Amino acid sequence: MKQILLFIFWLCVAMVAIALTIVLGERGAWYFAWVVGTVMIVLIAAAGTAIIDARYEEEHD
Amino acid sequence: MQELDTVIALSRTQFAATALYHYLFVPLTLGLSVLLATMETIYVVTGRDIYRRMTHFWAKLFAINFALGVATGLTMEFEFGTNWSTYSHFVGDIFGAPLAIEGLMAFFLESTFVGLMLFGWGKLSRGKHLLVTYMVALGSNLSALWILVANGYMQKPIGSSFNPDTMRMELTSFTDLIFSPEAQAKFVHTSIAGYLTAALFVLGISAFYMLRGRHLELAKRSFRVAALFGLFASVGVISLGDALGFINGSAQPTKLAAMEGLWETAEAPAGFNLIAWPNQDEQRNDFELQVPYLLTPLVTHGFEESIPGVKDLVADAETKIRNGIPALTALRTLRENPDDAQALEQFEAHQDNLGYALLVQRYAEDVSQATDAQIARAAADTIPPVATVFWSFRVMVGTAFLMMAFLIVSVIYSLRDTLLEKRWLLRVAPWMIPVPFIANEAGWIVAELGRQPWTVYGQLPTWLSASTHSVEYMIFSLTGFVLLYTLFIIIEMFLMVKFIRLGPSEPAKAPVADSGPHRHSSQWSEI
Repeated sequence: MKQILLFIFWLCVAMVAIALTIVLGERGAWYFAWVVGTVMIVLIAAAGTAIIDARYEEEHD
Repeated sequence: MQELDTVIALSRTQFAATALYHYLFVPLTLGLSVLLATMETIYVVTGRDIYRRMTHFWAKLFAINFALGVATGLTMEFEFGTNWSTYSHFVGDIFGAPLAIEGLMAFFLESTFVGLMLFGWGKLSRGKHLLVTYMVALGSNLSALWILVANGYMQKPIGSSFNPDTMRMELTSFTDLIFSPEAQAKFVHTSIAGYLTAALFVLGISAFYMLRGRHLELAKRSFRVAALFGLFASVGVISLGDALGFINGSAQPTKLAAMEGLWETAEAPAGFNLIAWPNQDEQRNDFELQVPYLLTPLVTHGFEESIPGVKDLVADAETKIRNGIPALTALRTLRENPDDAQALEQFEAHQDNLGYALLVQRYAEDVSQATDAQIARAAADTIPPVATVFWSFRVMVGTAFLMMAFLIVSVIYSLRDTLLEKRWLLRVAPWMIPVPFIANEAGWIVAELGRQPWTVYGQLPTWLSASTHSVEYMIFSLTGFVLLYTLFIIIEMFLMVKFIRLGPSEPAKAPVADSGPHRHSSQWSEI
């Protein structure tokens, strides 16, 4: 049951995200660019740092 | 008139001083909040304790900056009412809504979560604390959004109309207001400029630690996160700067002409003035160094459009002033008799240029009797101070590319883990801390001085917007601000330097109910 509820929850989140994308993409292209851009900057900085950290740790080990 | 001019000049000086001062704190708050969220994300995902300490340390510096940013922002909201009461009356219906939402965002959303972020360590679970940090980042940037929506309206009035009954602008479409291309591009450009500011701030301080061999592991990791974060932000800020220039070009041709030092209309493909010495009195550049064919594609994103120069824009303003004068005379008739159908018809036929007629009112009380010389003088006023705008723009763009170049080098050496061998880079990094602040201030000068002589472009002249205070009052309040803000900056610098010298303190309490991975750094003892 918990799995189904979680699935429905994330489905709703996805639907809201798609709806927002359509609305923002139509009228607020730059706002949409900010959302996507910020997420990308955060993800690249975080993932890049974590990956490099792991790589150096492996080399040291 | 002499006293009025002095009061306006003092009001402008006071607003410029408080805005530029406030804007020293804002970008760092915007960017550092997102950078903190990035650092904490790494902590939550990897479980490495060093990232928790990193987040905790930079959050302290964020808190100092945040407090002064809020304090200096408060005065500006009041300044609209105290020093710019005609402006507030004229566009309060439009300007008030985003400003009120900004207040709510800043004081309820942002401030609440800042408290939870700073004092929630050891009380909230890792996931919840991370959520709180993201809410701080979102709240900070959303409060900037509303201010920039309001500012976007001043740059390009949209979603409103003038009501001759109430003699003020009224909101006709809230969605047009918030989705204005000017507001959108301005927000994204400003927000990402904040990311860049925060990245250079963290890089500089981390380099300082590495040079002195202190907190090495924390500093190296902070440097790496900030370098990656800043490099992508620099690409974003330059792209959005180009977009903003493109949007500005059509919305405010006078600002564009000043930014580019264009006196004559430039036929395609026009050359870009890399360096020039504009002479506003003689309407020409005393000296210029051009890059051929570059300006047209930069500004129009094409190869065919011509770009209007100052001389043609002044001639165009003269036409608009003459066209706007009947609207202003009709408005005066309507004020006496609101039912005068003929006056209403005359007003509606000319209302698009009402703002231009208000420009000539500065020189001719009865605008219907304005002489050609007075109209020409008012038309010449429509051009902002060219040299200041021209050079501010070049400082902003030049420093943006300098930062990007520096970040490319920083990322390369950081990823190769050879930072400690590149002492020159570590020595340069602290000197890069002021660079984004200079770029931000220069950008703000381009935006605001470039809009002159208008508070609301094409609608309300600056000379008509100020309150009617006495000169003594303005000098008193300006002196008060200068003294108070000087004290603030001394406190800010003292606290920043103190906490930077102290460095990361004892480990903060770990968030409770840890359920994810949790690993201590192997170099814990070095910290």
